[in-house]
Amino acid sequence: MTARKPLLDALVSMLTQRDLLVSCLGANARYLPYMTVPCPVFALCDSMGAAVPLALGMALQRPDRHVVVLEGDGSLLMSPNVLATVAAAGPPNLTILLWVNGRYESSGGQALPAVAVDWGALARAAGIRHVAAARDVPGLDEAFARARSAGTPSVIVVEVAFDPAEPIPPYSERPDEIRARFRP
Amino acid sequence: MTGAQQIVAGLEAARVSIAASVPDTWIGRLMETVRRSPHIRAVDVAREEEAVAVACGANLAGGRGAVLIQNAGLLNCGGVLAGLVELYRIPCFFIVSLRGDHRDPVYYHAPKGRVTEETLRAWRLPYAHADRRSDLVAQVKRGAEFCVESRGPFVLLISGEDLA
Repeated sequence: MTARKPLLDALVSMLTQRDLLVSCLGANARYLPYMTVPCPVFALCDSMGAAVPLALGMALQRPDRHVVVLEGDGSLLMSPNVLATVAAAGPPNLTILLWVNGRYESSGGQALPAVAVDWGALARAAGIRHVAAARDVPGLDEAFARARSAGTPSVIVVEVAFDPAEPIPPYSERPDEIRARFRP
Repeated sequence: MTGAQQIVAGLEAARVSIAASVPDTWIGRLMETVRRSPHIRAVDVAREEEAVAVACGANLAGGRGAVLIQNAGLLNCGGVLAGLVELYRIPCFFIVSLRGDHRDPVYYHAPKGRVTEETLRAWRLPYAHADRRSDLVAQVKRGAEFCVESRGPFVLLISGEDLA
């Protein structure tokens, strides 16, 4: 499995000014302020489970934009129902990247419930028709390009290595700053 | 106009673009009217916390979102209200069916009815009871616009009688 940061770098390099990026709380949200992202970013520092429906609301409101949302496996396990909600609403301009490392990384790296969830099968069972997996940067490049043009909401399951020594930066933006800078 | 039509007219007057909902008997009846609006997109969600986030996403993207749920669902929403709506100061207008008050004949709603308003006050959520005897369109519009002006939540409590 690939470390988180090269995958996040690869994703950001594929974004354009026409995209909107939403991140759940955790490592990705903490890295993003230190990266040059070409599109508006809305990063959560709390509220597990809110990122995907937040992105759904944006996608429905702004069909002229492609909304990319970074979700974690712990967060989605808390609210997998949102997959059915997304499938029912069906916005073609929404791509969900599910970062799977089996850990609640933002709270100290505790393990998720000890079961091997088949995330792709879960998404398909909830009605998501375009589901892909990525284990490395080339795989992510290919999967993301296909998701963009799928014409239906997509889920990409990104398997990422868990490294308890990863130097993840702290949260560096206040919520009011994130809110003020987000101007789609 | 029926009460449901007045509520939807109020949403339209406030330029609400997305109504995210989990139905109960009353909210389901209201959503039937929402679905007939050419101006409002009805979004059926699986849990009430999702409705809050969908409405917030619509607001952040330049539209106006509203949440139509039962009070049982509102009681589910403490985390997302604190960690999203309040923390990021996002407008979020709720229309909530108040089950279990003295007007509700269904006994099993009573425990929710007993705690709803106390919970709203504990969570410091501004709220009002819809008043069918006065201008319901204006009450809805005022509530939705309060959210925009205050950059926060507002809850309008309705009963089944208000939809007639």
